[in-house]
Amino acid sequence: MRGIIQHALKNGSAVILVLLVLVGIVFVRNFASVDNAAVIVRQSAIPAIAVLGMTMVLMIGGIDLSLGFVVGLASTATGFMAKVWGLPVDLTVAATVLIGALVGLVNGAIIQYMKVPSFITTLGTGYILYGISQLVSAGNVITRLPPSLLAVGRTDLLGLPTSVYIAVGIIALGWFLIHRSVFGRALSAFGFNSRAAFLSGLSTARVNVLTYVLCSSLAALAGLLLTIRVNAAQPNMGGGVFTFEIITAAIVGGTSLFGGVGSVIGSLFGVLIIKVIENCINLMNISYHLYLAVQGGIILTVIVMDKIRSRAA
Amino acid sequence: MGQRVGRILFSLLGVAALAAAGLLVPHFLTPANLLNVVRQSSIIGIGAVGMTMVIVILGIDLSIAGLIALCPMVSGLLMLQGVPIVISIVAGIIAGIGMGLFNGLMVAKLDVPPFITTLVVGQVSQGLALIMNNGRSIGGFPASYVHIGNGSFLGIPVSDLLLLVMMGIGIFITQFTPTGNRIYALGGNETVVRQEGINVDGLKLFVYAFSGFCASIAGILLSAQLDTVHPIQGDPYLLDTIAACVIGGVSLAGGEGRVAMAVGGALIIGSVRNVLDLLGVHPFFQNVLVGTIIILVVFGSGLSRYRRTVPV
Amino acid sequence: MDEPLLEMHEITKYIYDSSGRPIRNSDVKILDSVSFDLHKGEVHVLVGENGAGKSTLMKILGGIIPPDQGTITLEGAAVSFASAREARDRGVAFIHQELNLCANLDVAHNIFLGREPTRGGVLDKKKLYAQARALLSSLGFEIDPMVILGRLTTAHQQIVEIAKALSYESKILIMDEPTASLSKNEIDRLFSLMRTLQARGIGIVYISHRFEELRQVGDRISVLRDGRSIGTICSQGFLEDEVIQMMVGRSIDDMYPRSHRPTDDVLLAVENLRLLPGTPPLSLTVHRGEVVGISGLVGSGRTELLKTIFGARRLLSGRIVYNGSKINGWRPGRLVRAGMAYLSEDRKTEGLIIAMTIRENVTLASLFRLFRFGMISQRKESEAARKRVQQLRIVARSVEQTVGTLSGGNQQRTVFAKWRAAEPQLLLLDEPTRGIDVGAKSQIYKMIDEIAAQGLGVLMVSSELPELIGMSDRIYVMRGGTLVAELTEREAMTQAGILAHILIGARN
Repeated sequence: MRGIIQHALKNGSAVILVLLVLVGIVFVRNFASVDNAAVIVRQSAIPAIAVLGMTMVLMIGGIDLSLGFVVGLASTATGFMAKVWGLPVDLTVAATVLIGALVGLVNGAIIQYMKVPSFITTLGTGYILYGISQLVSAGNVITRLPPSLLAVGRTDLLGLPTSVYIAVGIIALGWFLIHRSVFGRALSAFGFNSRAAFLSGLSTARVNVLTYVLCSSLAALAGLLLTIRVNAAQPNMGGGVFTFEIITAAIVGGTSLFGGVGSVIGSLFGVLIIKVIENCINLMNISYHLYLAVQGGIILTVIVMDKIRSRAA
Repeated sequence: MGQRVGRILFSLLGVAALAAAGLLVPHFLTPANLLNVVRQSSIIGIGAVGMTMVIVILGIDLSIAGLIALCPMVSGLLMLQGVPIVISIVAGIIAGIGMGLFNGLMVAKLDVPPFITTLVVGQVSQGLALIMNNGRSIGGFPASYVHIGNGSFLGIPVSDLLLLVMMGIGIFITQFTPTGNRIYALGGNETVVRQEGINVDGLKLFVYAFSGFCASIAGILLSAQLDTVHPIQGDPYLLDTIAACVIGGVSLAGGEGRVAMAVGGALIIGSVRNVLDLLGVHPFFQNVLVGTIIILVVFGSGLSRYRRTVPV
Repeated sequence: MDEPLLEMHEITKYIYDSSGRPIRNSDVKILDSVSFDLHKGEVHVLVGENGAGKSTLMKILGGIIPPDQGTITLEGAAVSFASAREARDRGVAFIHQELNLCANLDVAHNIFLGREPTRGGVLDKKKLYAQARALLSSLGFEIDPMVILGRLTTAHQQIVEIAKALSYESKILIMDEPTASLSKNEIDRLFSLMRTLQARGIGIVYISHRFEELRQVGDRISVLRDGRSIGTICSQGFLEDEVIQMMVGRSIDDMYPRSHRPTDDVLLAVENLRLLPGTPPLSLTVHRGEVVGISGLVGSGRTELLKTIFGARRLLSGRIVYNGSKINGWRPGRLVRAGMAYLSEDRKTEGLIIAMTIRENVTLASLFRLFRFGMISQRKESEAARKRVQQLRIVARSVEQTVGTLSGGNQQRTVFAKWRAAEPQLLLLDEPTRGIDVGAKSQIYKMIDEIAAQGLGVLMVSSELPELIGMSDRIYVMRGGTLVAELTEREAMTQAGILAHILIGARN
């Protein structure tokens, strides 16, 4: 039964995406072109990396509200390390991801050992990270980053920047991790019934902490790539809006808020759906702020439909 | 009895801290500054009145940030069109109550976790506030409106009076009505409340609607103080309000926490921010502090009731 | 005492299948034409083993569940309750073991929750506290109505619950094991309260196992067994043996295979373990090839003992040695890898993940065993699952079926499959055949015997005495959080004998 639901959900988001694309082609001027398709793909790549992490956290039944602020912190850190301190590129990249991992470690530790619920913990740490980013950067944006750093994400390969290929690679790895590994099975188990998972010998602490570490690391990577993309290290990159966008994408893609159910492909489609809508709104010159409100409507619709569906089942 | 002692101790501690601050920090204990502290804390305090009840029934209201922006934006735009002030303000309040009712419906009828529905409603409200005036701020309101934020009545700032009134309403509902008893009961043992035939859905609707109401008042007051509605003015207040409740002893495990204490917590947060301002501490470092405080206080209180076997 | 206050006539409750429909033609019923009556001012004690039907009968009286057949007459009028609230409004109050109150509110607010006295919409606190105080003193207790309920002792919380029930002008009070967590003094006070209530004409149904108390407090004793009323005797000068015999009197079927032979190899040794601060320490051993049974009432600490051994519950004091190593503080993860398995009594919430498939559940405890590098091969997993499904004769269309759709027996087989796949050396079983049909039961007994014959150790908690006697090489008896007896000779392992240890204490 559950297999069927998941199948439908996965197909559901694919169906929605196809429908949206069709609507776009028919109704929106300038939508149907190779260039525009490339734009959408480019826009979706980096959020797709972040949504992978959020998918894992949602699957285990938690939430990471600090995700957007990790992006901002990563951006600030990248700017500092690459430009201000002039560190070599590989060190910058490694250190940025490491910072993300550390944040995840703190989140995971607080949630696991201090037993503070995930939404309070990550709300608090997110705020703290925001403060740190602002403090460290003194509110300044760092631009004109070293070309060696920019090359990591901006090198053109067959018409698409390297960051897209990085994203694809990470998503592929993520798919294996979540759908074919023991860790992924543990995520699902804890999400559905953490007590039974624990009593079957799975380690709560390890899975919990690792999940948050992975989520924040991926968020940091996303922040790094985003910084490269816009060639600017901004302390308020990402933020609450970004977090919300990622959560929307994951849920639209079929990952359940209640845990246990999650899909990498679904979340990827979720990101594409969001970006296609954004693209159409831009092309039609509709206010971006309207789009933010619409996003809320989307997520609520999905939740309500999900509820109705599970009630009927 | 033990609870009362705890509350008295807490208040004494607060007074002692204030005295210490007064000695160490120049300009803190001046009447002008103290009234200013209360004036600034009143936004947080009014929000905390509603948030207390929501947390007591094991919920959370993350939408107040968006409402603190949306509601005054609604009132403000109407006022600038020449609509009478009272009607404009009522319209803003209705917007807040409406969003709150929506939250309540989602939680009560559809079992949506409170943090998701209020997060979404908050974002949607924020988005609406941005759309309504294309992302721009508005200002230049009629004098009587600005007076609410900055004027005095019989020597006391109207802001402080408004805080007292809201606090009074909150205390009345929670301590002096059957509804108040049932709200606390709901946070303690929902099964028993249902068994007694009490309308649980109605209670939840009321609590979230009331929180929306408080958020609307807080937002309208804030804009009166600033004579501006900035479309993202609500952001700093979410965490401060939750911090105020948590410091005031409102337990995330539900069923516990007084409105008066949450307002006290708001005053503490306001004082802390004020002291840090006077000492020249960067506002963003203040955020770091507030975030840490919340986690620590939740952890500290969590040791008593909220121990889940397997945390997520 | 002419016409009885209450008459329950030929109450029957069928067993329900997994889709919620009653199985009417089965021989086994939860309650089978049980009749029960109660007079005004009487204390009628209800006794029976775990699963005899006492709670079900009282839940029917209390309006919590409906009877499938039979009638209830209250004060001469036929009644049928649609809810617990309706029952209470008609005068039947149920005092459960787990108290039905809000620990965060004070006494008075608890008692009048839902009917708070008001004056013009405002809470009339004076009246609230005055009424509560009057209620409590009429029962002879000076409990301050302003105290937060959570701060009262369990005994006083219970008094508050009784006071609340009585404030609805109850005629009948059902008390389920009320003295379980009370001290001697508190029990005396409770009994004198009961006498006060009796004098008011209130009838009390008293469910208990504590024979010492029954003399003090009961007027009549009724015994239920396997869903049938066995008999009712006057409690004046009753003989314990008589009651025990009534509780027990069934024969042990020949369905317990015994091909295993215990060795002298100690697999598990628990030394001086304290389950709760203040309870006497206990020690036990399990040898390889041995099946050790643990009997005792619900609440005697059996599940807590197993969970402590498995590392799912904190160890207060004492030592546990498994396979030669001291395992104090080891978590379940480590113990599972070391060969320990734990079958919880709560298979739906602790033993299985209902939303997952058979395949996923069966491999849940052996994921690392199957997949060394952490990557799951779908094919290998399905194969392994299918093998186990066959081995344990789980009835399902495929291994992709969700466990929630299986019958109770098949669900339990799945749990066993999961643990066998983990290649355990020690099995901790908690009520392994609860809620399972006879066919599945005998299969499970055979499997336990096979497991023991392979040299594994089994520690089994069960409330079914015939099962325990049939399967165990030795039986421990638990009471009040500690062991009170160890039976090693087969002659001592009679149902009456074990029950006597459970209820009364050591007998010569």
